Amino acid sequence: MLRLFAVQGTWNYERMLGVGMGYAAEPLLEDLKAVDPVRHGEAVARSAEFFNCNPNLAGLALGAVTRAEYEDIPGPQIARLRTALCSPLGAMGDELFWAGLVPALMGAALVGVVLGAGWWAIAGFILAYNGIRLWTSYWSLRLGMQSGMRVGSAIGASWLPRAIELIGPVAAFTIGAALPLVAAWYLTAFGWPAGIGAAGVTMAGIALTRWFAPFLTPVRFALAAMIFLVILRRVGV
Amino acid sequence: MSIVLCRIDDRLIHGQVVIGWGRAMAIDLIILVDDQVATSDWEQELYRMAVAPEIEVRFVTLADAALHMADWQSNGKRGLMLTGDVETMATLRTSNPEVVQRINLGGIHHRPGRRERLPFLYLTDQELRSLQLLEAGGAIITAQDLPTTPPVALKSLA
Repeated sequence: MLRLFAVQGTWNYERMLGVGMGYAAEPLLEDLKAVDPVRHGEAVARSAEFFNCNPNLAGLALGAVTRAEYEDIPGPQIARLRTALCSPLGAMGDELFWAGLVPALMGAALVGVVLGAGWWAIAGFILAYNGIRLWTSYWSLRLGMQSGMRVGSAIGASWLPRAIELIGPVAAFTIGAALPLVAAWYLTAFGWPAGIGAAGVTMAGIALTRWFAPFLTPVRFALAAMIFLVILRRVGV
Repeated sequence: MSIVLCRIDDRLIHGQVVIGWGRAMAIDLIILVDDQVATSDWEQELYRMAVAPEIEVRFVTLADAALHMADWQSNGKRGLMLTGDVETMATLRTSNPEVVQRINLGGIHHRPGRRERLPFLYLTDQELRSLQLLEAGGAIITAQDLPTTPPVALKSLA
């Protein structure tokens, strides 16, 4: 479990999470050495091959593949299981964490800051995010170890798909609540001209990111707008 | 509509395919051409999990794909046809060059014998020669992992 925290420690284009997965699998495969040393060697090598998914759900793959090794499933089938798991664990993990939990908690923390909770809101965000992340890693590894090759059905029957459905609207709600509150909090001291300017930049962002999509993403527009505003400020406009 | 993207990606269906290209090109049909996945229920179950319910996913063998490509070209959906290796895409191109006109090299990763051509693209010399032959036969081949990154022409990968 602790080794899963370092799963991205040797991330590279050649194997992505592969070496990190091998490092995490090594103690789990230790008992196989006494039973079948040849199989153990193959399993360790296989565990470090190319792999990629969301790091918070990597335990599902680690557990499932480890169990499959102990159940003497043929090597090529285990390799296909690893490949097939990249897809749902990447997509579901990204939706749950990067597109769901992180914006949901950030929105809640921003609302907390504006309403006067100050550093407590920031501390709450850090504790809540890491607490959920740690628990999910533990749950993932356990479910993977319990289900082995049946991990697909186990994921489908778990809380994960339902949580992904719910977290999107929650994230939209907290960010939607935070944006006007934060904008009002920032802009009140600068009066109407700043409000009109911010609204103008927002409208331009919506139009340009649609017009020049997919090259001009919202993040790229925001960075360009910030650089532009800093330059304007430097030249005194 | 038609098949709007033919992609080679050894990770098959994953985030870059579903979110990166799928959303940008308004894809509503993904056709995965892979003989092993087409006959494996548990693999299909896993790949389906990564795709939103409104996008249809079909798992077909190479032989079935060669038979049905013309139908997919005119079935009213915007399709993305995906293979896990160069050889399968080359066979599809031979079967129906009108459907497989442009080939996107989306991700072919490290394996013994392959050499890095781009960070997301490793090819053996044989695979590169196969792609060059396809291009000489009229296919337009570029390497591009996401729609937001610039495409790289095949000739600069040698």
